[in-house]
Amino acid sequence: MMAMHEPVADRPAPARDPWRRRLVASLLYGRNVDRAAKTRGRIALAVFIFALGYAVIAARLVIFATAPEGHGSRRAVAQDAVATARPDMLDRNGEILATDVRTPSLFAEPHRIIDVDEASELLTAVVPEIDAAELRARLASKRRFVWLKREITPEQRAQIHRLGLPGIGFLPENKRIYPNGAEVSHIIGHVNIDNQGAGGIERWLDARGLADLHLAGLATDRLQTPVELAVDLRVQHAFRDELIAARANFKAVAAAGVLADVRTGEIVSMVSVPDYDPNNPREALDPTRINRLTTGVYEMGSTFKALTLAMALDSGKITLKSAFDASHPLQYGKFAIHDFHAQNRVLTVPEIFTYSARMALSLGIEHHKWFLRKMGQLDRLRTELPESAEPLVPKRWAELNTVTIAFGHGLSVAPLQAVMAISALMNGGHLFPPTFLKRSESEALALATQVVKPETSEKMRYLMRLNVEKGTATKADVKGYYVGGKTGTADKVVGGRYSKTKVLTSFTAVLPADQPRYLLLIMLDEPQATPETHGFTTSGWNAVPVGGAVIARIAPLLGLQPRFELPPADKLILASAGGR
Amino acid sequence: MMRVLNICVIGALVLAAADVYTIKFDSTRQAQRVAKLRLEIRRERDAVAALRAEWAKLDNPARIQDLARRHLQLKPVEAQQMDPLDNLPERPANLVAVDEADPIATVIDNPGILDRAASGNVPAAAR
Repeated sequence: MMAMHEPVADRPAPARDPWRRRLVASLLYGRNVDRAAKTRGRIALAVFIFALGYAVIAARLVIFATAPEGHGSRRAVAQDAVATARPDMLDRNGEILATDVRTPSLFAEPHRIIDVDEASELLTAVVPEIDAAELRARLASKRRFVWLKREITPEQRAQIHRLGLPGIGFLPENKRIYPNGAEVSHIIGHVNIDNQGAGGIERWLDARGLADLHLAGLATDRLQTPVELAVDLRVQHAFRDELIAARANFKAVAAAGVLADVRTGEIVSMVSVPDYDPNNPREALDPTRINRLTTGVYEMGSTFKALTLAMALDSGKITLKSAFDASHPLQYGKFAIHDFHAQNRVLTVPEIFTYSARMALSLGIEHHKWFLRKMGQLDRLRTELPESAEPLVPKRWAELNTVTIAFGHGLSVAPLQAVMAISALMNGGHLFPPTFLKRSESEALALATQVVKPETSEKMRYLMRLNVEKGTATKADVKGYYVGGKTGTADKVVGGRYSKTKVLTSFTAVLPADQPRYLLLIMLDEPQATPETHGFTTSGWNAVPVGGAVIARIAPLLGLQPRFELPPADKLILASAGGR
Repeated sequence: MMRVLNICVIGALVLAAADVYTIKFDSTRQAQRVAKLRLEIRRERDAVAALRAEWAKLDNPARIQDLARRHLQLKPVEAQQMDPLDNLPERPANLVAVDEADPIATVIDNPGILDRAASGNVPAAAR
């Protein structure tokens, strides 16, 4: 090309060429052109172009050789995006609580279907659950992809495969399976048809970033690390079995219970019956099946007296020897507050606790509020479970509120919240939020705040044990486990007034009382009197015996060593506390 | 000279091409095998998961309890039935010498051994 316009002046055209060649030459080139130079330029150009072509081909070959088949992997991603996997859930012993099983789902590509009538007829013969009219409409639609039936059985898949219908296919999908049915429903929650968490720990998993992984199509592998929960399946089953029996026996509206490890804050078991089967999530919508321990708030009744006494003992204003005049019903203005177990005489602190007398210990409104806030009773308790309820705190907190809250009326808290506070009173004063995941003792201590003095904790455990030895909770004295406990019977508010007949009874137990390991809460909503309870509906007649039955059944599962012939509480617990 | 070199180079080229081809072919086959094994592993894993789910379903405490109630005479353990290992008494002395040819025959022949064993009064020589 560079030689194209080079003038060649002193070389006349050779005359001896034949005329035809001269004609062609004159048509192709100008008169004054060096043809040899021009030819060389053109060859160089051709070489350059061919070299470029071969270089492209070579590069492409290298790409093909090194990269795996591109379109194949893309298809796999698209397929897996449907089949979103979730990590397995295990209990503390490695038993499966939730797992994924792959099931085929039936889909159609309507534009590829030849005979809609034939296809719908054959499909309804194999899968009778599909609505025939809806199936026809779907197959005849203009869309490129429609689901026909999610989660079909392997036999149905084989049959449909044999029909050989064009435009009908299967995609493997992960189906969430809860092998234990309703057993742990309120803790683990459930998922919707697209495998997204719709409650409990399942929802928490999504909130923790699993949902984003799903969107990116990454969470498809079964090898995701399983989530280990603190719950013990066997304990949970025994607990639930006893509570279902108790609910039937006392014809209660609901029965609920928590077992917490006081040293780590782990919830080893949590039952609220009626519950639901997570394999059938529609049941979860029924409002009577809510988790009463986290979603409901209740006036805890005398159980709260443990907090009041702990506050008073911790402040040092009273000691275990202080005495109070209980010879008259507690008078506040025009209100007379009567006792379930009236003694009508001067009572000491242990007597107040064991007779469950209603007491008016006043350390001032501000101190009371400060203490309850410190114990986490005035703020919403957040755990891994998305379901939580705000406590109902009086808007105007007057002297009367302090008096009533002292014995557990006028302040409604979630029962799990009360469990947290009483655990702190038992374990030496360390308050940490309860957890549904595994947690070690050192991790719990790192989270803990010291809310009461260790000596106060000792005294509270002494009172709890005393209450079982000779108080309202004698029916829960399971031999060998040194149970301590506090009863609670709260009148329920019906139509804005305290009902005379409807009560919420509860029983809080610590076992063993001298070396606390577990805290148990039993709650019965509106238990009815039975012949065995002699017409009583107070806690000592229903929640306490249930607590005893539960402890007798679950303590061996928890690995607690039974110890017999232990001295009474004043010798064992108070002596180690170094006197009063 | 030049021609010989050219022929050598062409020969080397053909050989190299053939070698690359076999390597490529082999790697494709290996890749297919890997993909197949991956699929198999995945299927196996799915099958394991399905079986584990079924196991968990069969192992469910409620089901076991129901079966036990129907078919067994067993009752839940009570605290009194448990005892720590420390409370285990000393191992009783052997009734007959260890090197006895037929220990059962010895006991049958000397029924007095059993009484001694029951009273704990076993001669030290019998150990």
